[in-house]
Amino acid sequence: MKLNYKTYLLPFALLAASGIQALAQDAAATTAAAPAAESNFYNTFLSNGILLFTAFVIVGAFIVMFRLLNVLIKMQQIQIYKEQGFEAFQEAQARPMENFWNNMYKRWTKVVPVEKEEDILFDHNYDGIKELDNSLPPWWVAMFYITIAFAGIYLFYFHVSGLGKSSKEQYEVEVKKAEVAIASFQAKQADKVDEENLVPLEKETDIAAGKTLFTTNCVACHGALGEGGVGPNMTDKFWIHGGEIKNIYQTIKNGVPEKGMIAWSNQLRPADMHRLASYILTLQGTNPPNGKAAEGTEYVPEAAAPPQDTTATPVEPTNSTGSGQ
Amino acid sequence: MAQVEKFHYDNAIVRNFAYATMIWGLVGMLVGLIIALQLIFPQLNLGIAEVSYGRLRPLHTNAVIFAFVGNGIFTGVYYSLQRLLKARMFSKVLSNFHFWGWQAIIVSAAVTLPLGLTSSHEYAELEWPIDIAIALVWIAFGINMFGTLIKRRENHLYVAIWFYIATWVTVTVLHVGNNLELPVSAFKSYPVFAGVQDALIQWWYGHNAVAFFLTTPYLGLMYYFLPKAANRPVYSYKLSIIHFWALIFIYIWAGPHHLLYTSLPDWAQSLGTVFSVMLIAPSWGGMLNGLLTLRGAWDRVRQDPVLKFMVVAVTAYGMSTFEGPMLSVKSVNAISHFTDWTIGHVHIGALGWNGFLTFGMLYWLIPRLFNTKLHSEKLANTHFWIGTMGILFYAIPLYWAGWTQSLMWKEFTPDGFLKYGNFLETVTQILPMYAMRVVGGTLYLVGNIIMVYNLVKTVRSGSFISDEAAEAPALVSTHGVHKGEYWHRWVERRPVQMLLLATIAILIGGIIEIFPMVMIESNVPRIESVKPYTPLELAGRDMYIREGCLGCHSQMVRPFRSETERYGEYSKSGEYIYDRPFLWGSKRTGPDLQRVGGKYPDSWHFNHMLEPQSISPGSIMPPYPWMIRDELSLDILPKKIKALRTLGTPYPEGYEQIAIADAQKQAEQIAARLKKDGIELEGLEKKEIVAMIAYLQRLGTDIKPKAQATN
Repeated sequence: MKLNYKTYLLPFALLAASGIQALAQDAAATTAAAPAAESNFYNTFLSNGILLFTAFVIVGAFIVMFRLLNVLIKMQQIQIYKEQGFEAFQEAQARPMENFWNNMYKRWTKVVPVEKEEDILFDHNYDGIKELDNSLPPWWVAMFYITIAFAGIYLFYFHVSGLGKSSKEQYEVEVKKAEVAIASFQAKQADKVDEENLVPLEKETDIAAGKTLFTTNCVACHGALGEGGVGPNMTDKFWIHGGEIKNIYQTIKNGVPEKGMIAWSNQLRPADMHRLASYILTLQGTNPPNGKAAEGTEYVPEAAAPPQDTTATPVEPTNSTGSGQ
Repeated sequence: MAQVEKFHYDNAIVRNFAYATMIWGLVGMLVGLIIALQLIFPQLNLGIAEVSYGRLRPLHTNAVIFAFVGNGIFTGVYYSLQRLLKARMFSKVLSNFHFWGWQAIIVSAAVTLPLGLTSSHEYAELEWPIDIAIALVWIAFGINMFGTLIKRRENHLYVAIWFYIATWVTVTVLHVGNNLELPVSAFKSYPVFAGVQDALIQWWYGHNAVAFFLTTPYLGLMYYFLPKAANRPVYSYKLSIIHFWALIFIYIWAGPHHLLYTSLPDWAQSLGTVFSVMLIAPSWGGMLNGLLTLRGAWDRVRQDPVLKFMVVAVTAYGMSTFEGPMLSVKSVNAISHFTDWTIGHVHIGALGWNGFLTFGMLYWLIPRLFNTKLHSEKLANTHFWIGTMGILFYAIPLYWAGWTQSLMWKEFTPDGFLKYGNFLETVTQILPMYAMRVVGGTLYLVGNIIMVYNLVKTVRSGSFISDEAAEAPALVSTHGVHKGEYWHRWVERRPVQMLLLATIAILIGGIIEIFPMVMIESNVPRIESVKPYTPLELAGRDMYIREGCLGCHSQMVRPFRSETERYGEYSKSGEYIYDRPFLWGSKRTGPDLQRVGGKYPDSWHFNHMLEPQSISPGSIMPPYPWMIRDELSLDILPKKIKALRTLGTPYPEGYEQIAIADAQKQAEQIAARLKKDGIELEGLEKKEIVAMIAYLQRLGTDIKPKAQATN
């Protein structure tokens, strides 16, 4: 008999895969790894992928061993053929496989064949419905016990042993991990921002990007030309929180929650906040119509201010090679 | 041997319920199709309050659960109970009262829900007068059932009847428990418990509505109709016993799995998880006993449409009772909750298990009631295939939609920002899947129409047997010694003891979970800054309930980075102590609103309610023009304040007298702000929208600083 193992490999693989996956997810939930799973889902899928692959390898190994065993049995049978003749060989060939699967099936289902049903028929009769006295399927009973054991272990792990993390603790770990990952990512970026030694960007592309960011995020409160509205005027020399690039960057980054300005660090990359702050500085002295009255204190730059007196839109691409990007 | 008695089965009541099942099935599924279309074409909300999505969704769920499946249960119970007990129903009057009462309740639901009269508890939306009517009808059903049990001619109760008894007692307990409410007016009430406690009780109910309305009675029907249709003995009597008791005992605990990662205490969440996992085997016991009963009859399954429907039904039951526990594992739930995965999951149960078992039962039953043959086997087979395709076309796109959306919600850029910071992006992404789901739903409904046609033809071709003659020996003494019998036979002879044992089994879990939550204060830590709603906010909140906003918007930020980044600080149980009822929601078709307060200016909300697409192009939210058109009614506020104080909200004594003035003052402030933003409307401060804005701007602000200027 030729066994086509693709057919019986499939359910095995699926079973193994789902089992491993569930385990992996559970493990993820219970260990510190969980937050990582949250922070980047594809990571989880990758690690699950590795687990899956491992499962395939294990299943594959089992199949190879099973195959080897078959070969050994075949060799044994050939031996029998050689020594005891054809009839003994036939008998031996029919025996081992069938017995193995049959026994397995019988042991895990304990089912009474349809033909022998009469023996286990109760005398119950409900409107013609009869009942059989089949045993509880052992595989079903085993499954029930396993889930009960799972329940006990789960409750012990999370609520008695002190090992399992609560939802809140999981969250804290997740946030910490993400902070570390983000910091290390940003440190490797070409346009990373050195908050201590900020200088205004001058490249045309940076200023244009800054303008786009301003239009998207800031005009609602500061006016289309930076003339001010709910928020202060950006075009005069007066600043409430400081007029140096460093100050403006910090104001954008942390916001002024008590006055209604949100902390933009939650929505803008550091490099973008840098571009935005640089753009805002180009608005100095543009003197748009309907400018809001000055607020804060006058800021006098230490070095010479960039020469921008004429228009609101930045011109003069000064192709400096050192800046940004 | 006792004397053989002659009697008649009452088939008229069975026929009535069967007709009701067919009619309400069509209605419920049609409403489902309409709301599925509304999700793709928001214009279909028509700007009319009574047909907008938020109000129709509960109509769909109630119609399918209580009208379609409910009548299906009664059809099967009234038919099988009489035959299993060898007795006519106890009282014709009670039967008719049950039938007409139930239909009247359904009609009143179909009227009140579109009117926005709702308690907002999912699957228990109906307001208190209807709740009382349900209780009365349900008790009438119980008396009728137990009356029949007492005058039975069969010594022992068959497993189907155990399930009917457990169903009856549990639904009674659940219905009363989840509708403990204080009436304010004819159609408005506030629940006794608030916030997280209300949430736990609601989902203890909600989950067990699935368990004891959609599952246990249908298992009973399966145990009768499947062996009858297959003409085979039930596979294992022992399995029946074990899985019955295990199922009803364990099921009741599993409710908290609807509240994983919420502000429900972790211990309660864990109980929800582990009892859900332990439910796999007891549920599968039912599936096994169903499928294995078909051993030796599989050849007929290929031909007989009745058996085909039943096989798919039982298989769908097995699939969803495996999927359910998996969804109750916290790390899976973190992905599935609030998405369409859940919707797909429940429809495998509803369309597959309940729908197909009902269809199988009707195809078997109607020809027998009318002493004829089914009009067309071919049409029944067509129904089977269209229905099966319908289920697949319905569920698979929704699974896909759920996974896609969940992954999009959770994806970050390496810079630490949400990749899809705009919630709407994650909605427009899955609209094609929503369209596919409409195709699936349409197929299923078409199949159903074919069935109704087929059955009407069958009815026409036969002659109805209103009173079916039967005979059986009178009941001899049921007590005494029965040597050598199986231990469980004892209780099978004693319906009252059976009822008591079942009651104990289903009470334990609920008591252990609910009592500590409502008795022990540390389970809901107080937060000093959390204050009761102002009268205007309260009016807005009740409007939020009326419009069914929670059908699409949650108010529960879970402790995940992807949620705190999107919405703000995660929710604390102490924030909800004045929330009667809780409004956490269970599905996010739109974003969470727990922290929406102060996020946008008042004028944003005004314009958004008037025409959502003008603010968020591509949004599928319906417009709410009537909130801007209609005047706000404040007259009931004093009563509401009083009722809430009775329930424990610390409004000062006598506050109700100044509540209206207070509300008017706040309304004027909001109207002034709107005016400043250029919204000109006569009498703006008297419109409903002002209350809605007041409520939305309050949401979640108790524990966070006012972040943005309100302009």
